[in-house]
Amino acid sequence: MKNLFLLFSLVMITSAVSAQDVFSCRNTRFSFFSSAPLEDIEAKTDKGVSAINVKTGAIYFKVPIASFQFRKKLMQDHFNQNYLESDKFPFAEFKGKVVENADLSRNGTYEVIVEGTLNLHGVDKAYREKGTITVKDGNITAGSTFNIRVADHRIDVPSMVVKNVAEVVAVTVNAVYTAAVNR
Amino acid sequence: MKIIAFLLLCTSISVYGQARQDLSHLFDSTGPAHPKVLYTYKGTRIIMGHSTDMLRKHELDFRVDHRFGDLAGEFGGAKTFYGIDNSTDIRIGLEYGISDRLMAGLGRSKGSGEQHQLIDLLVKYKLVEQTQDSHVPVSVALLGTAVMSCMTSEEDPHKAAWFGDGSDRMSYVAQGIVSRKFGDKLAFSLSPTYVHRNRVGYMDMNNLFALGVGGRLKVSKRIGIVAEYFYPFRSQASRDYYKSQGITFYNPLGVGLEIETGGHVFHINFTNSSAIQETQFIPETTTSWLQGQFRWGFNISRRFTLFGKKDWKK
Repeated sequence: MKNLFLLFSLVMITSAVSAQDVFSCRNTRFSFFSSAPLEDIEAKTDKGVSAINVKTGAIYFKVPIASFQFRKKLMQDHFNQNYLESDKFPFAEFKGKVVENADLSRNGTYEVIVEGTLNLHGVDKAYREKGTITVKDGNITAGSTFNIRVADHRIDVPSMVVKNVAEVVAVTVNAVYTAAVNR
Repeated sequence: MKIIAFLLLCTSISVYGQARQDLSHLFDSTGPAHPKVLYTYKGTRIIMGHSTDMLRKHELDFRVDHRFGDLAGEFGGAKTFYGIDNSTDIRIGLEYGISDRLMAGLGRSKGSGEQHQLIDLLVKYKLVEQTQDSHVPVSVALLGTAVMSCMTSEEDPHKAAWFGDGSDRMSYVAQGIVSRKFGDKLAFSLSPTYVHRNRVGYMDMNNLFALGVGGRLKVSKRIGIVAEYFYPFRSQASRDYYKSQGITFYNPLGVGLEIETGGHVFHINFTNSSAIQETQFIPETTTSWLQGQFRWGFNISRRFTLFGKKDWKK
């Protein structure tokens, strides 16, 4: 009986440790903004997911392309069909690491550098971007705004619409994490 | 002993869990369980008939459809500039997305058949949407159209355009459209259709069933080839009678090219039917491909987004 109790407490401890390290967010917000001479294009989604390991600094983002909402649905159609080809490449995915020395187990707001690989439109590219991570009593929020050059991901903008679609698109991401159940 | 073994197992599991740097395994099931198939067709029409695609909420579609005169045959050729001099039917319409699943439209067309000067009102509802995992294997839409002729009544009461009262001016269409997208390039549709015309000529049919078949093949990101065919189930007695009067009914067949240019979808098509309304091209096509009685047609669709600015900002 004593042994059994010991066993239970051990299992509890091990699971508690791993749960404290990994935090996840299932409604990560993504938005992007393209400003071109003829029109501004804006889209957003809250269907992204993200996870962060505060011990190792590993960070992960994934967003379904077709979940981006535009006010003008015709733009949304073109985005999915002609530019991002969401049939063929349904997700954008980022795997990276917080490289700045920040002790994410302590309360505070940290300006960090995140390094990693973004797979967008089936094309991998390395990024090194600034972001902000705030830790407060076990709650973690993270946010960043960075630029994506559409040509880097082989997203084709026909010459006919160069005045409508910007070459560089500003992407904003915001995640509010809660402790993840380790599976 | 057993307990020690179990303890070892526990520790190994927790070590394994911490060793995993890659966090992607947390989200193996990201996204909807049954993602919907998007963009089966490029627009709300295949060529002459409707597709299962809808306007979305707050979208206004301004449409201009043309059918020209016979390209070849007796009335075509160089003297009519291959039919361009003659316009058999023109429709100008405004259609609006009330929700993502319901659209309504109002149009005015010249009419090419027994009745002219047509005003149409249409409502289309999307019943089910195909999913990528074939959990729902097809998309289904329902279409209802009411058409009224505004022309002056003929004086001969035997004619189909003689109107005793207002209801004689009305014709209706009820249609189910079932479509399936195969891969990302090919789409195919079946459209069981019921046409009711309150007023028809002698030995013509007030109630007529028809089956439409249509498809689209995407050849590039912005260009697709479309084709459509309707088979009306006209009775043999009616066919025979009209044949004895020198009129043969043909089944409407159209082929076309759809080109997307920014905000427009531009259709160039060839059809043997000269009319645009379902109430006319399905029962009243008397022109044949084999006799050069096919024509150029253009459908131009320009979509705008109205309202919704506030909803979207939230």
